[in-house]
Amino acid sequence: MTQPMIRFDKVLKAYGSLQVLKDLDFSVDKGEVVSIIGPSGSGKTTVLRVLMTLEGIQDGTIYVNEDPLNRMLVDGQLMDASRAHIRRIRSKIGMVFQSFNLFPHMTALQNCIESPIYTQGKSKSEATDEAMRLLNMVGLADKANHYPSQLSGGQQQRVAIARTLAMHPEVLLFDEPTSALDPEMVGEVLEVIRDLAESGNYTMLLVTHQMGFAREVSDRVCFFDGGRMVEQGKPDDLFGNPQNARLKQFLSKVLEAG
Amino acid sequence: MDWDWTFTFDVVLPKMWAAAGVTVWATVASFALALVGGLILMLLKTHRSAWVSRPATELIEVIRATPLLVQIFFLFFLLPEIGITLPPLTTGILAIGLYNSALCAEVYRAGFQAVPRGQWEACIALNMSTYRTYRDVIIPQSLPPIIPALGNYLVAIFKETPLLSFVAVAEIMQVSKLIGAEYYRFTEAITIAGLFFLIMSLIAALLIRIVENYVKRSILH
Amino acid sequence: MNRIAVVSALIAFLVGVSVATFSEVRMFLPAILKGAVVTVQVSVLSIALFLFMSVISGIGRSHGNTAIRWISTVYIEVFRGTSLLVILFWMFFVMPEFGVTLSPLFAGVLAIGLNFGAYGAEVVRGAISAVPRGQTEATIALNMSAYRRMTRIILPQAIAIMIPGMSNLTIELIKATALVSAVTLVDITYAAVQQNQLHYRTVEIFTITLLLYYCLAQFVRFGGEALEDNYTRHLRRRG
Repeated sequence: MTQPMIRFDKVLKAYGSLQVLKDLDFSVDKGEVVSIIGPSGSGKTTVLRVLMTLEGIQDGTIYVNEDPLNRMLVDGQLMDASRAHIRRIRSKIGMVFQSFNLFPHMTALQNCIESPIYTQGKSKSEATDEAMRLLNMVGLADKANHYPSQLSGGQQQRVAIARTLAMHPEVLLFDEPTSALDPEMVGEVLEVIRDLAESGNYTMLLVTHQMGFAREVSDRVCFFDGGRMVEQGKPDDLFGNPQNARLKQFLSKVLEAG
Repeated sequence: MDWDWTFTFDVVLPKMWAAAGVTVWATVASFALALVGGLILMLLKTHRSAWVSRPATELIEVIRATPLLVQIFFLFFLLPEIGITLPPLTTGILAIGLYNSALCAEVYRAGFQAVPRGQWEACIALNMSTYRTYRDVIIPQSLPPIIPALGNYLVAIFKETPLLSFVAVAEIMQVSKLIGAEYYRFTEAITIAGLFFLIMSLIAALLIRIVENYVKRSILH
Repeated sequence: MNRIAVVSALIAFLVGVSVATFSEVRMFLPAILKGAVVTVQVSVLSIALFLFMSVISGIGRSHGNTAIRWISTVYIEVFRGTSLLVILFWMFFVMPEFGVTLSPLFAGVLAIGLNFGAYGAEVVRGAISAVPRGQTEATIALNMSAYRRMTRIILPQAIAIMIPGMSNLTIELIKATALVSAVTLVDITYAAVQQNQLHYRTVEIFTITLLLYYCLAQFVRFGGEALEDNYTRHLRRRG
């Protein structure tokens, strides 16, 4: 049995006295596409944020390819990780945000080459070639020299995806990638994500409210509630035959609204 | 170079004490002038007639864009020439007061601007007089942002009083310079002057916060 | 933009007329203009120090380690709470008693630069914290180093935000240079007072003095607006 790409081991995340993730055990295999669904406050976005080291955790360990992320092994002992260690492990993970977070003072192309050049030490021509290839892949090669303010929401999000891919991560995190988009632009972004999922090249974690899409592209769907993973399974099983009461309640509300 | 404590207590502090009184009086008088003058200038600036508002606006602009020191000198040299003889302290207070009026005018304007349009309209709908409108509705609501801003100008005025030393007013800065010239020792006098301003401005900042909270509680409940 | 043009034209007209009609103006104008050179000199050097101190203590106070944060805070609080004239006199009169003699120019630039740097630090700090949090998160997701994050992403965006505050401080700084007349620097103010003692043309001399400072202020305001346009160009939508 191969080791999982991502493994959460008894992870506790709290804001003061409010526990957002409770004793979470969770793992994702390499190349697997996992969708996380659940009501607000269930902790689903927090799972992504602690994995991306945007927030710290109070207890437990997160492993990326069996390398501890928030801790490090020093002489056989697990200690709090140094910044250098975190950055090393973090380089395998990329994240696409709900509000895109493109750099407004840079063009689409510049957004995509910035980190490869300055963090990964690539040459400008190397980074540019790769960025153009990726922008082409998401259908925006002709907008390479446009600023984010000149692009629609859907276009900005696709650039954000290209920017993330330019770092060649092994794990892709999507935090409600289409929630901030007007309905007519959701499709173009989902199409890009679908292509990535079907390529099998990436381990993907997708937090989304697009149930139909989640069902379509995922290998596994997890339902979070109150900081715990309450139920998980193959999409058809989870959506077609939900076991947990809260999940049934959630699905009926979401599907009737959608 | 060592600090001479006997010098400090026998010479510096006593002389500074009297000067401190001048500094405080100059600050308070200028501030009072600025409070009133600022209101007048604001009313002139927002007057309906362009004949009044344009010159007022330009006057405020010129006062704000030019150094206070130059304005002090201007007044100091000009007034005697047109036959008005005033003691230097009074001239200084006038200059500082006028300069800060221009600054306070902007504070008043912003404060009134911040009161929602709807409040004015409600007063019209309720057929309230202009006096009542201002007194009971507009001014109370405009005070919370205005008070801290005006308080900051009080502190600023306090720190501007040393400029009066340029026209030989015996306030703290002037006295410390004189002590230095007379005894050939500047360190104690100027450091004490510096500490005086530092401590007073910290106290003033604290007082402003207290007044701010008091105003917020008593007016807006 | 329009306003600058109108004001400059008005000033040029007035100066021209007064020079033409009042030949006495030629008596004191050269001296005052020479003073203007000194004022500009002091201003430019002070502005350089002011910008430097603002940026490093602004960043130091919010992003530095504990030692840096503490030093920045002390610097900011001390120099903001103290009167500029006191600082100036301290540099010019007290430092020699500690064995360090500074030239009037050096003392003036140091005093003004450090004093205004403390105020600028707060503007810089505010601007940096006004950059949306999502930008920082994106740089974390892209695994950028803290140095790159600040210099390539946060600071460029903060600059656009801080321009109005900094240009106001710059105008205040230019006005503050009038104080160096107290330490024997022959700037506009010193020259004006001197000429007035000689010629007693108070109104003309001081009107021109005020006009000169007013022009400098407008110059800075215009520059600030142009700079702001440049730094927010990327925000303007096309068509």
